[in-house]
Amino acid sequence: MTIIQAVDLSKNVETTDGSLTILDSVSLSLAEGEAIAVVGPSGSGKSTLLALLAGLDSASSGEIHLLGEPLHSLDEDGRAAIRAGQVGFVFQSFQLLPGLTALENVMLPLELAAVDDARARAQQQLELVGLSTRQTHLPSQLSGGEQQRVALARAFVVTPKVLFADEPTGNLDRATGDTIVDLMFSLRAEQSSALVLVTHDLRLAEKCDRVLTVTEGRLQ
Amino acid sequence: MSANRITLATELSLAWRQLRREFRLPEYLVLIFALVLSVAAVTSVGFFAERVERAMGAQAATLLAADATVSSPAAITSSVRAQAADFDLETTNVIQFPSVILNADGDTALVSVKAVGTAYPLRGEVRINTQLYAEDFAASSGPAAGSVWIDPRLAGSLSVSVGDEISLGELQLTVSSFITFEPDRSSDVFQMAPRVLMSELDLDRSGLLGEGSRASYKLLAAGEPSSIGKFGEWIDNRDDASLRFQNVEQGRPAVQSALVNVRRFLGLAAAVAVLLSGAAVALSARQIAERDIDTSALLRAFGANSRSVIRIVLFRLALIAAIAVILGSAVGYFAQFGLSALLAQWFATALPPPSLLPLVGGAGCAILALGGFCFPAVLKAVSAPVVGVLRRDLPAARPSAIVAIACGFLAMFALLSWLTRSMLLGLMLVAGLLLVVGVLWLISRSLITLAAKVQNPLVRRSLEGLRRRPNSVSLQISAYSVGLLALLLLTIIRTDVLSNWQQQIPEDAPNFFMVNIQPQEVASVQELLQQRSVPNHTLYPMIRGRLESINENRIGDKGYRDERARRMSERDFNLSYLAEPRDDNKIVAGEWWPADTTETFFSVEEEFAEETGMALGDTLTFNIADKQVTGVVSNFREVEWESFAVNFFVVGSPPALNDKPASFVTSVYVEDDQAGFVSDIVKQYPSVTVLEIGAMIERVTGILNRAALAVQYVFVFTLAAGVLVLIAAVLASRRERFHEAAILRTLGASRTYLARSMSREFILIGALAGLIAASIAALLAWVIVEKVMTLDNQFNPVIWIIGVLAGIVGIWAAGTLASRSVLRQSPLSVIRGQM
Repeated sequence: MTIIQAVDLSKNVETTDGSLTILDSVSLSLAEGEAIAVVGPSGSGKSTLLALLAGLDSASSGEIHLLGEPLHSLDEDGRAAIRAGQVGFVFQSFQLLPGLTALENVMLPLELAAVDDARARAQQQLELVGLSTRQTHLPSQLSGGEQQRVALARAFVVTPKVLFADEPTGNLDRATGDTIVDLMFSLRAEQSSALVLVTHDLRLAEKCDRVLTVTEGRLQ
Repeated sequence: MSANRITLATELSLAWRQLRREFRLPEYLVLIFALVLSVAAVTSVGFFAERVERAMGAQAATLLAADATVSSPAAITSSVRAQAADFDLETTNVIQFPSVILNADGDTALVSVKAVGTAYPLRGEVRINTQLYAEDFAASSGPAAGSVWIDPRLAGSLSVSVGDEISLGELQLTVSSFITFEPDRSSDVFQMAPRVLMSELDLDRSGLLGEGSRASYKLLAAGEPSSIGKFGEWIDNRDDASLRFQNVEQGRPAVQSALVNVRRFLGLAAAVAVLLSGAAVALSARQIAERDIDTSALLRAFGANSRSVIRIVLFRLALIAAIAVILGSAVGYFAQFGLSALLAQWFATALPPPSLLPLVGGAGCAILALGGFCFPAVLKAVSAPVVGVLRRDLPAARPSAIVAIACGFLAMFALLSWLTRSMLLGLMLVAGLLLVVGVLWLISRSLITLAAKVQNPLVRRSLEGLRRRPNSVSLQISAYSVGLLALLLLTIIRTDVLSNWQQQIPEDAPNFFMVNIQPQEVASVQELLQQRSVPNHTLYPMIRGRLESINENRIGDKGYRDERARRMSERDFNLSYLAEPRDDNKIVAGEWWPADTTETFFSVEEEFAEETGMALGDTLTFNIADKQVTGVVSNFREVEWESFAVNFFVVGSPPALNDKPASFVTSVYVEDDQAGFVSDIVKQYPSVTVLEIGAMIERVTGILNRAALAVQYVFVFTLAAGVLVLIAAVLASRRERFHEAAILRTLGASRTYLARSMSREFILIGALAGLIAASIAALLAWVIVEKVMTLDNQFNPVIWIIGVLAGIVGIWAAGTLASRSVLRQSPLSVIRGQM
């Protein structure tokens, strides 16, 4: 099964100096369980590509199918409905809700997907990332590495068909970053989730099945 | 799996969990405090004002001896009485007529007889004694059949005392008490001969009420306000010109204006508290909205749809509203009990228990404040682009300023109009706020532009905060100014408006009226008053007349603005004439006539003119002693009825009236130690009637004093709200200051440098806010006092000095205190976003 099928994706934004092309006719596909890394210099359009593939933003032109659904013809809520319970995210800045505990943050995607045993599954997932003793801690009480592990637990708790990771080690030191990467790849392997990984780190990119390079909005 | 399946329970649970933790954040604390304060102000004013108003209404009712009266020149029909009973109203009769009584020696005296039912008075009390000058006491019921209570003046003129018999019509009645206080005695102040109070049961046997008798009949009624209202409507709908309904508020101009002002002042005090709390709500809402941008983007990234996210926000706001309403109402409820206890000695009778109605107002206030100030900001945050979870560099979706401000002002207008019970006052307060925000915005933007051009390093450093955070600083200046403005406005209102209001009844207000002074007695009465050093004793001629037509339209031929106007036009009333205008009457339109005029002019009291539809230049025709007097309305006068000086609705030029039969009248202030004054006058001038109005003035002054105290109490909430705005404004910029301080410290700035830099900024903002707030406060106070309250405003230049100093000290202190943590914070933790 094809997880993502993108054809001729373009993204333009209007600026005071006229129209600016961020992505230009990008086409790619991602098979079930496959991992691709998107690399490229800063400002090349990597994160924009990830946002379009995950349906977080809409393309100016082109078509994207995520899990067989045409994202390009859906509105914001329609795209959200496809993500619910099927897509995981890991962000550079962790993006944990500061008001919720580690456990509640992990429960969040399960609750949004109306899963019944959200608490038990979240507790189990936190154990898998080695944070069973930190369940009631708020994000501000956790280290950067711990926060990213909570974010990993949150991403994998729904057994996602695809995981989108945007510079997951960008805010971490090398040792912590390595631990997080190992954890992410082992969880992905267990769940056979496809992965779209945006990174600057070529070492990390090499762990994926394919490496795509974006330069000035184009895939090389 | 689909996000559309998220249950309401999950949404509620998410909202609750989020609130439970974030609740401790300063912006939530400020939001909840502000709402609690708003609700507490509204409910405490609601509870207390309602109780005070009802107590004052009851006290004012004592001036009518009832909650309402129905008057008629003929006996009140049984159908009216039956209708009153249907409305569950308690009623009793009062029949009043002039008559003559005789003592055992055959001496006579013209008296004003009042026959009353046993339930009289329904409100207030008749005080009597059985020995002249002995201590009086409240009578438990009206006079028993066969007995009368008499005016103490009759004791002197007829030499009767308790136990003596007098003849009244065909009856022999025993004097059983002297009347020392009669609640509704002031009604017919000029017609009042000494009072004889008798039982209604003796009336038929007296044979006094035959055909053509000049009796006036009144049905006194008391009961629930809603029933009184319905009864009044029923009377009005009968369209029976002979029946005249009068409730407490329509009763007397002085009492009416006092009650209306009390409502406005209490409402105004609460309104300012709500206005300030609204500013604090708006400030914290902005911060909450910024926090919600990340939350809602993340929720939507994980598959929540926008409706679900909005519902989560709504649930959270509803939970906040519920907490605020519960806490605020409790505070309000207990605050009003404390106030009642504090003021217990001021109330002759216990305040009625509070009703639950003000709770509705409290809840409405919280919902309106949240809906107007908070919801638009948070809603906008909810619709922020979901891609924001990836791109921190995207411009934040700030709430639309115009929509947020429009919603806020709309909510404010609704709240203020309701609280002050005046759309005009509500509109003026909102307009004032809009003006302040607009002016301050312009000034801060101009300063920022100026700052960019200044080269002087010291000035540049002082203005650097403004340069770095132009929008945030403009907002802070506006918020500080609103807080200061309200505090200054309150200072002005407290010192000027309240004192003005109380001064409406001056301490040396006349306490005696002298009526029926004959023209030949004028010179010698004046001489006597001069000998007694009685001040301000102008004697005014008084002529009885009836208005027949306005511009040849006969009175009664066309409609009147209201019933009162019709009555005033149709009845005989007292006219006077003057060559020169009086100092205490202000000409508000037209001009006074030349002192030596030979023409017939009239000067008309402005409200009377308005109610009867008179215009300058109209021709009025009066019937005076069966002769017509026609003249032109040359001016309108403003009269302060509360002063208790002798005043007239219509005053003519001397040629119009000086040849008509007149008696003279004056009002004088006589100090207590001259108590013998009355008997001296009466002995020397037997035909002169001296009426003591001191007691009535005391009662009205008492009402005003109590109202003033209540208003001052409510201002405590307003002050608390003002302080909260200052704190909220400092907190609003805390996050920015954290980041800014962290960056500056990373670049090598010392804590001392940062502390000094912040101090300079706070002082500058404080001075600016104080200056503007003082200017606008002075302007608004003038508008409110002169235009809305129609009182005289006293401009107070010290307000500017106080404003600037208060601004500097208050904002510097609050700012420094709230920013201490900014200086203590480690730069690393801020940069890591762990603050």
